[in-house]
Amino acid sequence: MPDVVSLGDLCVAAIEAAEGGEAVEAFAQESRSREAEARKGEIEGLSSAQSRGVGIRLISDGGRLGYAYAADPTADEVRRAVAQARDNAALASSDAFNVLPDPAPVPDMPDLYRSSQAEMPIDRLVALALDLEQRTTSIDPRVSKVEVCQAGDSVSRVALASTAGVDAAYERTDTWCVAVTLAEEGDDVQTGYSYRIGRELDELGWHEVAFEAVTRAARMLGAQKPPSARVPVVMDPFAASAFLGVLSSALSAESVQKGRSLFADRLGDQIGSEIVTIVDDGTLLEGPAAAPFDDEGVASGRTALIENGRLAAFLHNTYTARRGDTTSTGNASRAGYRSSPGVGTSNFYLEAGPADPEELLLRAEGGVLVQEVTGVHSGANPISGTFSVGATGLRIREGGLEEGLREMTIASTIPEMLAGVTAVGNDLRFFSSVGTPSILIGEMTVGGV
Amino acid sequence: MLPLATGSMGAMLDRDLAEEVLRAARTHGGGFAEIFVEERTSTSIRLDDGKVEELTTGLDRGAGIRVGTPETTSFGFAHTNRLDRDALLEAAEAAAASLRAGTPGDVADLRALEPPVRHRAQRPADAVAAAEKVSWVREADEVARGVSPEVRQVVVSYVDSLQRILIATSDGRWVEESRPRIRLVPHVVAARDDNIQTGLHGPAGSAGVEFFDEHPVAETARIAAQRAVTMLDSIPAPAGEMTVVLAPGTGGVLFHEACGHPLEADIVDHEASVYRGKIGERVASELVTGVDDATVLNGWGSFGLDDEGAPAQRTPMFEQGVLSGWLYDRLRADKEGVPSSGNGRRQSYSSPPIPRMTNTYIVNGSSTAADVLGSTPQGVYVKAMGGGQVNPATGDFVFGVAEGYLIQGGELTTPVRGANLIGRAIEVMSAVDAVCDDFSTWEGVCGKDGQGVPVGSGSPTLRISRMTVGGTDA
Repeated sequence: MPDVVSLGDLCVAAIEAAEGGEAVEAFAQESRSREAEARKGEIEGLSSAQSRGVGIRLISDGGRLGYAYAADPTADEVRRAVAQARDNAALASSDAFNVLPDPAPVPDMPDLYRSSQAEMPIDRLVALALDLEQRTTSIDPRVSKVEVCQAGDSVSRVALASTAGVDAAYERTDTWCVAVTLAEEGDDVQTGYSYRIGRELDELGWHEVAFEAVTRAARMLGAQKPPSARVPVVMDPFAASAFLGVLSSALSAESVQKGRSLFADRLGDQIGSEIVTIVDDGTLLEGPAAAPFDDEGVASGRTALIENGRLAAFLHNTYTARRGDTTSTGNASRAGYRSSPGVGTSNFYLEAGPADPEELLLRAEGGVLVQEVTGVHSGANPISGTFSVGATGLRIREGGLEEGLREMTIASTIPEMLAGVTAVGNDLRFFSSVGTPSILIGEMTVGGV
Repeated sequence: MLPLATGSMGAMLDRDLAEEVLRAARTHGGGFAEIFVEERTSTSIRLDDGKVEELTTGLDRGAGIRVGTPETTSFGFAHTNRLDRDALLEAAEAAAASLRAGTPGDVADLRALEPPVRHRAQRPADAVAAAEKVSWVREADEVARGVSPEVRQVVVSYVDSLQRILIATSDGRWVEESRPRIRLVPHVVAARDDNIQTGLHGPAGSAGVEFFDEHPVAETARIAAQRAVTMLDSIPAPAGEMTVVLAPGTGGVLFHEACGHPLEADIVDHEASVYRGKIGERVASELVTGVDDATVLNGWGSFGLDDEGAPAQRTPMFEQGVLSGWLYDRLRADKEGVPSSGNGRRQSYSSPPIPRMTNTYIVNGSSTAADVLGSTPQGVYVKAMGGGQVNPATGDFVFGVAEGYLIQGGELTTPVRGANLIGRAIEVMSAVDAVCDDFSTWEGVCGKDGQGVPVGSGSPTLRISRMTVGGTDA
């Protein structure tokens, strides 16, 4: 292999290309990822990938922002990207809130990187994917096929340096597996989904994934459209997490400052039930988005955004913090080296409560367990918080789950939903970087026929 | 080496090296090996709150190497964004590792393929000064704000890109293509007291900046702003079963999601398509004829050769309500011994190709929109669609309605908000009882298996006699 310039050296090349009065930041990233897909006892797809790139953020003397990036650049190409970012900045509007963060100590998180995972032979990944498919198709005779059965891992490194003096790096391993099953009975077909993420493949609950994907499909066989009614609703973590995504945008200071949040001017107000606490915590090791610092080098931390139902804080990066005359919460976020940092969540979750999920069912007599919602992305207005979504689930009777229900619609608003939470489960789990336990909502309108 | 259509970067890969890499990828045999090399330059501009927040220019490049085995539709795939010989051979080895054993396969002489159609930029965006692009973004902001004092916020996103690709395959395909793309999207927020509504509009093409001659920036901004302002007068949508009339373009979005995805050959092969086993059967109203057409000149979802080197074509999907066939990529087509329909697409070099739609259209019928609306006593009119989701196995879908109106006594009356269209593909498409003659298109980015690709959709005005509307006015 030819000599590869280290990420740190690429960052240094960028910083050294800064001219007088300019602030320059280099964000360098490299990753190696693998993915195996199993079907009918064979590996259908085996992928492996390597990538690296550098993104340059340049703020000119007048607070003008320019950005440029390059995939797998040489040091010369990094310098060229700095020059491009300079040209781009010249055409941007001046904005005094454009500044780079100062360096500050960041937490040490050595457990993010597991050398045993980084060194795992690909044969082991292949065996795990095949095993997952085998388990998934041998639990219930009505579930003999998978639509998707994959396992994958990645090792990534991030290095960040700036003319303000930031100089930091970390490495992390990520692993995941997913199974989507098809349950069939006569003409009826239902799908069921399960997913786990973690730092090491050997720590994922493989049997639970198989069992869950099967159960969630099989129990929906024969599902019918229910009559419209106002009933108690239990949202399991799969369904509840979809709504949390909408909430995260409303809690971003960027949305607030630009007049796009339903929570603008509500800081300190009671906006939800007293048992609802929503937190963002980049230091939570079991959360998939764990990292010692955010995407502009500010230390990660725990921020309670909604505390016992009270709106306590917004998510900030350095720009919004400066504009809002406060401090960054370490929530600068970017989609890799190709974009400059905006505001985003790290590990964003609804804190677990004391109740077993079974207890929630007991308290929802005649109600509905919602196991999947669709159309949240299209059906929810993040600005007004109103939504109308499609849902599937099961009827709850005497604490148990009865017939499957399909083609339901649920219409409400985010504030109504937050206020209506009457119990929070102890089964918190993460889906991508969003986590929730099961929640019980006292009453919601569930539309059907 | 063939001269490239545009660009001064020279060839992306030497032919001898391509052959060497293909040979390495076929170390353990397999049905075929393929290299996809890509270089993409792009410029994006974002204006928010009256400020040009950011200009970004980027350079992406890399190669994806695949070894495919059609009999089992299985593949090994590896990608790298280093294009040196060592990195490419290493990736070829990783892709070949998916095959446990087997004798080395052949590599045929590479022959250049000509596309059936070229989607050229008349005035390439990369030759236009960034300052001019900034002026379009500012114009969109000013026009949108000028529509009404109730316009509170405007975000304008502009992006142009030039994707240069090179494909070499072990059965001798050598493809070079340049694909320009351009889009400007104003996103407008209008407010009246506590009532906040949004509107966006974003025509897009595989073209140069001449695209804006046909789709003037000011007009795009006006439509987006008017949509947001109109929705301020909206009432919560009714819920229940009713007649739905879909404006030109919007029915194509529904057709893409609800009918197009289940026709993709990988979904069918996975036995997860609601249309499986139904070729030749009536699956929609006889008024519905639908096609997928990558040859639409300068269309957003168009190309000359697909990402596996198969020629762009117009593929029948439904003919007068009867299911015509599937949308194929190479793996699935080779397995069944049929030609690919030219639907093998990938987001970039870093993803393997899978069957995807291109420009998916319901073609014109013979009714007129005025007659169809006039003969609809009650229902909902969908002027603009939001996003949607479909479960291909069951055909269940949900779509958001971005701009909708009540139909009362054959006329559009009050705007409605919060509406969702909910139904099952076969039932809803069978309930189409009018197809008009006023075809129009709608452009978007379609996501599948984590890959986003530009797609066009299109349709004339359609009427669905009965379907479920999920509204907030229960």
